[in-house]
Amino acid sequence: MQFQNEIKSNEVIVFADASLYSKDSIFKCLYWYGDKFHTNVSFADSGTYRVSLKPISTNQLSNLELELLLQKLERDLIDFNLRDIVTKETQNVRDLLIAKAFSNGEFDEMPPGNVSDPVGFNVNKVAND
Amino acid sequence: MIDAIPDKISRKFKEKDQFDLNRNSQYYLLPFRFHRLTDEKEIIVNEVGDYLILSNGTFESIVKRKLDKEKDKDLYGDLIANFFISEELIPPLIDVLATRYRTKKLFLNYFTGLHIFVISLRCEHTCHYCQVSRVTQNRDLYDMSLSNIDKGIDIMFKSPNPHVTMEFQGGEALLAFDHIKYAVEKAEQIAIEIGKGLTKVICTNLALINEEILEYCKEHDILISTSLDGPKYVHDKNRNKPNASSYELAIKGIELSRKLLGHDRVSALMTTTKLSLDYPTEIVEEYFNLGFQGIFLRNISPYGFALRTDTSKYETEKFLAFYKKALDRILEYNFSGYHFTEDLAKIFLTKILTPFNVGFVDLQSPAGLINGVIVFNYDGGVYATDESRMLAEQKDYTFKLGTLNDDYNDLFFGRKAQEIAQLWANEALTGCSECAFQQYCGADPVHNHATQGDMYGYRPNSDFCQKNMEIIRYLIELMESDSRIKRIFESWAKTATH
Repeated sequence: MQFQNEIKSNEVIVFADASLYSKDSIFKCLYWYGDKFHTNVSFADSGTYRVSLKPISTNQLSNLELELLLQKLERDLIDFNLRDIVTKETQNVRDLLIAKAFSNGEFDEMPPGNVSDPVGFNVNKVAND
Repeated sequence: MIDAIPDKISRKFKEKDQFDLNRNSQYYLLPFRFHRLTDEKEIIVNEVGDYLILSNGTFESIVKRKLDKEKDKDLYGDLIANFFISEELIPPLIDVLATRYRTKKLFLNYFTGLHIFVISLRCEHTCHYCQVSRVTQNRDLYDMSLSNIDKGIDIMFKSPNPHVTMEFQGGEALLAFDHIKYAVEKAEQIAIEIGKGLTKVICTNLALINEEILEYCKEHDILISTSLDGPKYVHDKNRNKPNASSYELAIKGIELSRKLLGHDRVSALMTTTKLSLDYPTEIVEEYFNLGFQGIFLRNISPYGFALRTDTSKYETEKFLAFYKKALDRILEYNFSGYHFTEDLAKIFLTKILTPFNVGFVDLQSPAGLINGVIVFNYDGGVYATDESRMLAEQKDYTFKLGTLNDDYNDLFFGRKAQEIAQLWANEALTGCSECAFQQYCGADPVHNHATQGDMYGYRPNSDFCQKNMEIIRYLIELMESDSRIKRIFESWAKTATH
């Protein structure tokens, strides 16, 4: 079923395909709206998130502002999903990096390859002198 | 004597294609973070604070592997060279990156350095924004006892830090100058015995300073730190002294201190109040005309008046406008050839432009409380920061670690310290964990608690977050828009790392 993002009864509603957007990214995105909006996440169907924002009573918005809010939410969802991809893909290398940074050398390795110098000096001899 | 390798007859570098071992453009992401600067520009910052400014949409192209190694040659090269992507799952130079990460966290190496002794709570000023001082003659109740001084010194020298700083604060510290003398002489003796470095600082409004006190400071190599809020009409309104001008006393004190101790032995700090917000250029000019090398534009303290979020956020917007105007004036001086810095910018710029970091309590992660600073209150209470003891004066003892009678380990590694440690790293805080400016910013559980009611804090309406995000963004915008400003900022960062 095709869902259309919309503004309905002062509420901004965006649909996100669950195969493209992670749950974590949706919640991380909505976190930043929590001070001015009632936020809600539910399933529109088994493969689609329904994400909605409703201004809290002290935050009245014009139609134009609601349009801009819809655009911002759509864009933020994409941004947070991309951030989430980076975070998850790089989790292990980040752990390794920090483990190495705070270690006492037990994780250090020799760089790969042979040490040589293109201008022709015996690097190993220089290093040992 | 260096021998040439016999079978190498050519001294030429190898051909260019010898250096590209990965032809298929496959790459892996390394940890980095992203932020939109404008509709046209975005920024990515890696794990050690190196940044690249990119045109809109580039971040998406990088993540979705849409970069072409040949067509996007320059960008691809920059991303590889700056550890944003790698052609191998584990980058071959990961140890270099790890060393750089370690360098950024170097402030953790030595543990607590700054030990604040609240030597007296008494004061002869009645500043309206001060929550702590007492106008009283009761020394027994409001001065730090000699036995508590002894215990404080004992704890200070248990710090693993090879160089400790002893800072005397008040109230007005000079009202208990005899106790300062006692503390200085005792600490100096122990420092020599155990071979630790010791810096001594007196924080004073200078109203009571005289030649005799300054001679003592000279003899014992004590630094003077004073308060100067700006021109007379700002300073005197902020810092009320019954029947006298606080400003005139401060200026007289600065001149006398410089004369007897040396120009660079006296520093001044300002506090921005609501009144100050109307005088950004005048305040900067006051500092410049008095011969200071810079100014620290400190925002309004939330302790006492601007406690509610909406109010403090409103104040933050005003502070940011004030800050930008003041920074404009500072840059004008620099354009004219003077080296005159803004110290908050200098902290951020050191993090942004150099491989180093700055140990500054609320702009580091893990936070500087306990790790970098500890406060011994006049009554023997031990607090995580100066702000923590100010909260205590409002009967909020959340950040009281114990008393001077407690064991060192219980104070620094006890239940309370562990509780705070759960949320003193911005890497692990919601809203901060994926923030592009994470490496430039810090965590401040005390501020979160004071302004938002819990130590964890809530970033969407945090004035701390709003202020730091905007100042960092603004500094980057300035550097990107004007190469002269970039050169000036680089010179500020250089002086900070020397």
